[in-house]
Amino acid sequence: MTILDIRDLHVVVQGREILKGISLSIAAGEVHAVMGPNGSGKSTLSYTLAGRQGYDITSGRILYQGEDLTALAPEERATKGLFLALQYPVEIPGVTTMNFLKAALNAQRRARGDKELDAMSVLRLVRETAGQLKIPEEMLRRALNVGFSGGEKKRLEILQMALFKPTLAVLDETDSGLDIDALKLVADGVNALRAPDRSMLVITHYQRLLNHIVPDRVHVLSDGRFVAEGGKELAHELEAKGYAGLARDAA
Amino acid sequence: MSAAVETFFPSGFDSEAAVSGVAWLDRRRADALKRFRAVGIPHRRVEEWKYSDLRNALEAPRTRETLGPTTGDPFRGVAGSQFLVRDGRLDWASSKPSLPRGVEVLDLTALRDDSPDWVKAHFGEVLNDGTVGQASLALMRGGVALRIGPEIAIPFHLRFEQREPAAHARVLVIVEQGASLLFLESHAQCDGLTNIGVEFVLAPNAQLTQVRLADTAANAIHIEEIGVRVARDAKFRGHFTQSGAKLARLELAIALEEEGAEAALSGAAVVAGKRHSDITTHVRHDAGKTQSRQLFKYAVADRARAVYQGKITVAKGADASDSRQTAKAILLGERAEADLKPELEILADDVKCAHGAAVGDLDAESLFYLRTRGIPEREARGLLLRAFLEEAVAEIPNEEVRAAAWRFIDSGISQTGEAAQ
Repeated sequence: MTILDIRDLHVVVQGREILKGISLSIAAGEVHAVMGPNGSGKSTLSYTLAGRQGYDITSGRILYQGEDLTALAPEERATKGLFLALQYPVEIPGVTTMNFLKAALNAQRRARGDKELDAMSVLRLVRETAGQLKIPEEMLRRALNVGFSGGEKKRLEILQMALFKPTLAVLDETDSGLDIDALKLVADGVNALRAPDRSMLVITHYQRLLNHIVPDRVHVLSDGRFVAEGGKELAHELEAKGYAGLARDAA
Repeated sequence: MSAAVETFFPSGFDSEAAVSGVAWLDRRRADALKRFRAVGIPHRRVEEWKYSDLRNALEAPRTRETLGPTTGDPFRGVAGSQFLVRDGRLDWASSKPSLPRGVEVLDLTALRDDSPDWVKAHFGEVLNDGTVGQASLALMRGGVALRIGPEIAIPFHLRFEQREPAAHARVLVIVEQGASLLFLESHAQCDGLTNIGVEFVLAPNAQLTQVRLADTAANAIHIEEIGVRVARDAKFRGHFTQSGAKLARLELAIALEEEGAEAALSGAAVVAGKRHSDITTHVRHDAGKTQSRQLFKYAVADRARAVYQGKITVAKGADASDSRQTAKAILLGERAEADLKPELEILADDVKCAHGAAVGDLDAESLFYLRTRGIPEREARGLLLRAFLEEAVAEIPNEEVRAAAWRFIDSGISQTGEAAQ
């Protein structure tokens, strides 16, 4: 079954066309990687999928489980099982991490018609996963992402992914700013969430993340277009030749 | 007489209110009236009142509103004696005093030649440079005086309710050496004019923590002037939240008179509709090694207007004093307005003075982030508003009182169209 089907997608941001007609199809349980240099349109793709204001689709379409995604607000997309792990998770002073998790979990439950969870049930749920990701409880009491290291912020993103149990997870440069140990921890967390009913779109500049999260398909994005597509070996080829070399081959 | 003057000087004033037959009192009230008449009702061309045109507000026609039955005491359930001032007079029958020995309460309608010395020494003598504050003395109907004896610690609620068109009232609180008072003040007011003058005197090592929640109708005119004298090593903390009104003005004049005196002021307010909310503070560092801090945060929606004017004066010779002031506002509507005006007057050397003011919008990045987590926009905005105000609310030391303040603020947040938690 196809989870995500992007057809000839064009996206304009602040009057400039950033995505210039890309197509991509992800089946249930598959992990796809989108690789590309800075400015190729990677983050535009993730923001467009999440429904950020100011990312205007001028032509093409995005179908998510057969439904047109573009008419939905960001919160509706989340409720329907789309999760975006941000490259730069936002710091929100004044909201504790735990309260934020509770608000998000319950908002999604409410929207799906499920009963809301009380503080104790949320805490129990969070504890189960937090341990594996080495997230101490003390961190959950702090304001959301405030004063967190790069690694802590990314681990918290993965914690949310585990809690929300999305159908499609988009990981936007989850490896950026991480040292090798932190990277491994995050990758292990993601791998633990791989499942036949969960698809992932891993967006990254570097191949190193894909040594840990091994993709089924790799798409290379350059200047708003896919210039190469293939299996996991494409990532290694890219590592050897660089984006410039690959673009030459494609031409 | 213009409509404004008539509203301010209710008929019968000259015959009834001003003359009590108590010489010391009548003299002070006559002086106050003279001072008030010399300046008159402030308007926008008076610098300190330029964002709060009282004359104009008084002259504008006003429709009547009624005090809703739901406006209960926000501090209900918090321990402490409860006193009610209704339409400017202390209502003993509705008050629930339970005071330890060493605490005295006096009804200000019953001032006499032989009133206690602590009243005669301070009443009308602390708040003596305001304008409207002078009127509250000259025109007062009544009010309450309170003295906390040395080394005593108590909580005390003072509730103001007003249904009548105009009332002027007074409050005097003396906190003696080493004593400590948690002073909870709440207001419920319909469309009338309220004018309250408050005087606080803190003896050496005394502590007074005031938390004030003012729930006023959109058409009300609500003015309160608070004068505070802080002696050696005494500490005044004040936290102020008001819903705003047709014109709502809270003015604080704080004198840090001796070394080690401290004042910490904070406020968090949500102002919506067409309401106006002005908090004006003047902290005077009259002695060295004094400290002051001000932290005010406003969320302003619709066509509302929030004002913060914060003046800090460091007197000559008040060396090694330290003051910090921060005022921030978030505008939630294109026609919302915030006027933040810091003012420093430093006549001493070797002082630390820091101030900052900023007006902004809810952070779009944060809003998007919360929404991608499934939190609907309205709720996400409410969450961010709470987060913005949190720093100021956190200044309230007592957890129960803080919770009461949050309930008040949350009801304000829901009125802006954002969802409170």
